[in-house]
Amino acid sequence: MIRASTILWLSAVILVGYAMFQVKYEVVQQEEQLARLSRQIADGREAIRVLNAEWNFLNQPARLSELAKRHLTLVPIGTAQLLPSIDALPMRQAAPQQAAAASAAPVKTSAEQ
Amino acid sequence: MTMPQPHDENPCRPRHFKPSPCSPAPLDGPAKQSLDTSHTRLLITAALFCLAFVVVGLRLVEVAAFKHGDPRLAHRGVATQPMVSRADIVDRNGVLLATTLETPSLYADPKQVIDAHDAARQLVRVLPDLKESEVYAKLTSDKSFIWLKRQMTPRQEYEVNRLGLPGLQFEDEEKRVYPKGGLAAQAVGFVGLDNHGFAGVERGLDRVLRSRSAPLALSLDIRLQFILRQEVAHQVADFNAIGGTGIIMDVRTGEIMAIVSLPDFDPNAPGAASPEALFNRATLGTYEMGSVFKIFTAAIALETHAATMTSGYDATNPIRFGGFTIHDDHAQRRWLSVPEIFTYSSNIGAAKMALDIGTDRQRDFLGRLGLLRPPAAFEIKELGEPLAPSPWRQINTMTIGFGQGLSVSELQLATAAAAVVNGGVLHPATLVKHAEGDAILGERIFSEQTSIEMRKLLRLVVEEGTGKLANAPGYLVGGKTGTAEKVAGKSYAIHSLLSSFLGVFPVNDPRFLVLISVDEPHGNTKSHGYATGGWVAAPAVQQVIERMASLVGIQPVDEDSPEIRRSLLVTSPTPVGRKFAAN
Repeated sequence: MIRASTILWLSAVILVGYAMFQVKYEVVQQEEQLARLSRQIADGREAIRVLNAEWNFLNQPARLSELAKRHLTLVPIGTAQLLPSIDALPMRQAAPQQAAAASAAPVKTSAEQ
Repeated sequence: MTMPQPHDENPCRPRHFKPSPCSPAPLDGPAKQSLDTSHTRLLITAALFCLAFVVVGLRLVEVAAFKHGDPRLAHRGVATQPMVSRADIVDRNGVLLATTLETPSLYADPKQVIDAHDAARQLVRVLPDLKESEVYAKLTSDKSFIWLKRQMTPRQEYEVNRLGLPGLQFEDEEKRVYPKGGLAAQAVGFVGLDNHGFAGVERGLDRVLRSRSAPLALSLDIRLQFILRQEVAHQVADFNAIGGTGIIMDVRTGEIMAIVSLPDFDPNAPGAASPEALFNRATLGTYEMGSVFKIFTAAIALETHAATMTSGYDATNPIRFGGFTIHDDHAQRRWLSVPEIFTYSSNIGAAKMALDIGTDRQRDFLGRLGLLRPPAAFEIKELGEPLAPSPWRQINTMTIGFGQGLSVSELQLATAAAAVVNGGVLHPATLVKHAEGDAILGERIFSEQTSIEMRKLLRLVVEEGTGKLANAPGYLVGGKTGTAEKVAGKSYAIHSLLSSFLGVFPVNDPRFLVLISVDEPHGNTKSHGYATGGWVAAPAVQQVIERMASLVGIQPVDEDSPEIRRSLLVTSPTPVGRKFAAN
C-alpha cells in the first residue's frame, strides 16, 4: 500500500526535480543572452573606437583651418579686438526690470499731468 | 514532521492487535536496550536527512522564485576585458593622438573562388590601389591561403563584403593608428609591426601603455602643437633652412605644451620616413646655442653677486686670449652696463661677466640647471648627451658665457630658462599631464629677486635690443635671441647658423616659454639678407604667442600702463638707446 507520506515525498521529489531543470535551462538561456550582450558591447566599443579615430582624423587642425578658410567669413581673433580688456568696458547701467520701472515712472507722471 | 512508524516493522503481524506506541512489546534485558539504541539512531539520521532536503528545497524555491541574480555576475563576461593590448594616447584636452584599432585584412582561398577573372575585376574596382593582373594571379594560384590586402579601413571591408564574392575572408589584426598624422610625430613616436614602441612616448612609456587600459594624457595641446608647427615650418620654408624646432613650455610646471622637430614624418607609415625626419632635433640634437646662453650667464652673475644690474664691463676692444679673439657682433665699442650687455648681446661683456663668476661656480650652476647631463626622467628616450668641455679651462668659461663650447639640447635649454624666469625653481620637463592636485617637483636654483631682474632684462631685449621682432603687443613678451655658428669639424662654419629665439610671456609673471630654432637659414630679401635669430626665429615666436594667447586664456594688457612700466623699469647708468635695429 502506498501511504500518504510516500506520495508526498514522491511529489516533492518530482517538483524539486522539475524546478531544478527549470532553473538550469533558465541559467543556460541567461548565459547565452549574457554572451550575446557581451559580444554586442564589444562590437559597440570597437565601433566607438573606430568612429572616435575617424572623428579625430577628420578634426585635424590643418583640415579644419582649410575648411574654415573656404566656408567661413571668420578669421582668428586679433589682439586689437581684445584690447582694451573686458574690465575696461563700463557695466550695464541698470538691470532691465529696473530700467523698465524707471522709464515707466515718468510716463505715469506725464499721464497724470 | 511525518516519520515512518518505527514499530511497524513486522507486516505479518495480526491486524486486530495493535500494540500501543507507549507500551511496546514487553522486552527486557540487552535486547530492549539495543532496540532503543537503533531507534534513536534511526530518528537522528532521518531528522538530518529531512533537514537537508528542506534546506535544498527552500534554496531552490528562493533561487527560482525570489532571486533576481547578482548584477555583478554580468560584468564578469567579455565586456570588462581590456579591448586592446595597448592604451590610447590623448593630449591634455583628451584629443586622440594614438589608438589601437582592430583592422580587417583580406585574404583569399583560391580553391573556393569560382570566377577569378570576374572577382579580380570587381575587387580592383573597390580597392583601386590593387592591380587587376596581380589579383588575378593570386586568385588563380594553387595555394589555399593568400593575402590580398592587409589592414583595410572599415569602409573598404564593407565594400568588399557587399560584392559577396565566395572565397574571400577577413581576419582582424591590431593596428596602431595616429589620427593626427605627423602633427606630433617625434613626441608621440610610433610602434613597430609587433605593436612595441619604437620611438617617442610610445617607446619611452612602452611598459605603461601596455599595462593599462585607460588613455594616457600627455601634456601636449594639439592646438598649440599645430600653431607651433605651422610657424616653424613657415620660417623653415621662407629661409630655405634644413630644419627647425620649437618648444612651448608651461614655466610653472615644466609641462611641454608643444614640441616640434622639422622635418617630420607620418607615424602611420614610419617606414617611408627619412632618417632626418625620424631624428628628434628638439631632444636628441645638441647644439651650441649661442647668445641665448647669456641668460644663464647673467642670471648666475646676479645670483652670485658677481655683477649687479648697475655694474658694467669694458667692451671697447675685442678680447684676445691664448690665440682666440672674442668680438661683438653688434659692437658698441664702449663701456657697457649689464642691461646693455644683455640687450646688445655683447660677447665681450658676457665673457668678462663669466670670468667674474668663475669656472667652478659656472659649472656648478649649469650642472644644477640640468645642462650638463641628459634629463634622465624625461618620457622620451631619444636624448642627446650634452657636450661639455673637458678640462673646463678659463677660455671655456668665457666662451660658454656667450654660448659657445657647450652643446645642449633645446629641451634642456628650455627647461633651464624656465627656471630663470619662473621665480627661480627648476621643474623637470615632462610630456605627461600633471593630474589636478599633484605635487609639482621643483628645485630652487635662483632667488626670486634674480628672477625678477632677469625678466626685466629679457623684456629689454624685445623692447630695445635684438629681439624687437618678437614683440607681440599686449602680451609683454620678453626673450633673448641666439645666433650660433654650427660646429663643422673642429672649427665654426660661419655660414651654417642655428638661429633661435627664446621668448617668455607675459614677462611680468611668466606663464609660457616659446623657444624656436631654425637650422641653417639663409637670409632673404624680407630679412635684408640676415639669417640671425632676431630675424628668423623672433617673428615666428611673435606669431606663435599672438595665436596661442587666447587659447591658453591670457588677456592682452596695456603695455604702457604705469603699473606695468614701473614693474619692468630698469635703472641703468647709461640709458639704452633706440638707434640700433634688431638683428
